[in-house]
Formats: sequence, C-alpha cells, structure tokens
Amino acid sequence: MVCPFLEYRRESIGPESEAVRERAFDEPRAYCTAADRFVQAMRADICNDRYELAHDRDCEIYLEHAGDERFGSENGEGTESEEDPDR
Amino acid sequence: MTASYERYLDGDPLIVTAALTGGVHGKEANPNLPETPEEIGRAAAAVEEAGASVVHLHAREPNGERSFATERFQAVDDAVRAHAESVVIQHSTGGTAAPDADRHLPLRTDPPPEMASLDMGPLNRYEHLTSENTRGLVDSLHEEMVERGIKPELEVFNDGHLNEVFGLLERRDLADPVYATLIFGPGTLTRPRPRNFLNAIDNLPEGALFNTLGFGRHQLPFATMGILFGGHVRVGLEDNVYYRKGELATSNAQLVERVARLADELGRPVATPEQAREILGL
Repeated sequence: MVCPFLEYRRESIGPESEAVRERAFDEPRAYCTAADRFVQAMRADICNDRYELAHDRDCEIYLEHAGDERFGSENGEGTESEEDPDR
Repeated sequence: MTASYERYLDGDPLIVTAALTGGVHGKEANPNLPETPEEIGRAAAAVEEAGASVVHLHAREPNGERSFATERFQAVDDAVRAHAESVVIQHSTGGTAAPDADRHLPLRTDPPPEMASLDMGPLNRYEHLTSENTRGLVDSLHEEMVERGIKPELEVFNDGHLNEVFGLLERRDLADPVYATLIFGPGTLTRPRPRNFLNAIDNLPEGALFNTLGFGRHQLPFATMGILFGGHVRVGLEDNVYYRKGELATSNAQLVERVARLADELGRPVATPEQAREILGL
C-alpha cells in the first residue's frame, strides 16, 4: 500500500527553491502532501513501499503526520527533514 | 602521507571524476541535474570537455526515481558513448534498501563499465534506513567485477570502512593499484575536518591511490586538499547541488571547470581519459 500522502504532480506549490517552483516537470514526480514538496528519488521508494520498505515504519514524515487533522485525524504539525547535504 | 605529497610535487595528472546524477536527490533539488539518458549523455560530454576523465553514473526511471535495471544503465551508457567517446564509465552499485540481487544489475551492461563503485560498509539514510553493505555483498559484487574485468572503486564512507578495505584485501586479491574514494560530510560519513582527511590518507594500504569526495559545501575544500596531497577528486551534482552558498550550480561542467582551474593553478594537470586508464590500470 502506498503512502496516503503521496501524489504524483508536475508542479510544486511547496517551499522549494524558486528554480523548482518555476518549472513544470515533463513526467509527474513523487510529491509529499504532508511536507508540501517533491520528495527525493530514494525517498520515493519508501512512499511506494518498494522492496522491503514500509512508509508507516520507515518514513519520519509519515510518522509525524499520520494523525494530522489536515488529513482527517488528530495529530499536530511536522516538518520535512530531508537530509541536508550542506550541513 | 609523504609519498602522497610527493605525487603533488611531481605534478602527477589529476583524475577528475564527475558524479553526474546520483540516486538520492534529483531535479527537485536542482533542476539542472541530468536524469534522463540523453541529459546524462550530454552532461558527460560537457564534463569531459571541462576536464573530467571518469563519469560516475546511476540510472533513473523517466520520472527521476531510482532504477537498478541493467536496461536503464545500458540506455545511460549508450547515450554517454554517443556524446563522449573516450570518458571512463563508472557505474554505481549502491542502493539503500534495494535487494542484494539488484545491486549486481549495473555490472551487466554490454560492454561492462570499466569501473564500478563498491561501498565498503554500512551507511545510515534519513531517520530509519541503513544501507547495510554487508561483507557478503561486498565480496559477491567484487567477484562479479573480477569476472567482468571491472575495476572496483572502494567507497570509504568513514574511518571504520578503512578497516573494511584491509579486511577485503585479506579476503580477496585486488588488482593494483587499489583505488579508494575517501568521503567526508554529514551523518555516517567521516566528519569533514582537515585532520581527518590527513588521518585517512595516512591509513590507506601501501600503494593505494585515493579519490577525494566532500559532500555539499565541503566539496571544494576537500577537492583542493585532494589535489594538494596527491590524490584525485570527485565533484558533481550527485554530491553537491550548489556552486556557492545559496547559488545552485548551473551544471556538472561548472563544478568540473572550477576544480580543473584550481588544479592548473596548483600545478597538477587534469588527466585525459587515456591517462586515467593508465594510472588506474584499466
């Protein structure tokens, strides 16, 4: 079962860089509606539960937002925590 | 370390590897990052023109997601060869969470890649994933590389992996010269500090050559140290999407041009693909 926060989109409305917001991709890409941004290629495998991965075990974004009221349940806010290569 | 610095003083040619695409982030991080075979092929030609002699390659699906399929690597290689005839092709065999069997698939193109990466041990990803890279997998990948005449590029993510290099040398015969990429950055990687760089090159096996890789903003300073201490360098959008703080790189070639300029100023000419083949014993 894929992550309920996963959508495939060509455009982002999220907090990504201007260079990303300004473009529409040729192919729809994995987009996390909880984090409001496109996800990394490797993270998309988690979203799709590929291999032995499971979004409800392996994705910290899902775990933060699983009960988010925006998505019809009871939890609070969370933030995207993509690995920052610039750390 | 002395022998290494002698290579700098001697002005040994510098092998520049360009990591063009990777398999972690993609165009969502920098729209200039090539993802399709045609984009990667054109990027390979541009980095070769800028001074790279090796291209480190991953394969992707049309939507930018990871692929380990031989067919996808073949499409990338065919595009690279259509645009850059002589550059050395190096495939990644990395793949966090992918089945071990899939990790072998990039070795099976026709012709095989001249080089392939061999991750020397575990590496954490995100909050809940680990790329395990067991010794069993390392050995089986190495065995297939030997069968197919592929030179392994030993990826040393941290100092513990230096022990793993010695362990691999005890378990298996590696063709000379041993070639190891020393990786510096956040998380499980070696902490990016100059002392740790010097320590790492001091702890390599006798006669080993090294490649220097700093993630993110550490790419440029560690490449510079690699040049000065007689190593080789890897740059590219797989490892760093910025040219400088807050400014996305416009291309892989832009990053290669900068390091080639530095090498020239510091007295080390960039190696041609043929010189790289000679240095690495391909």
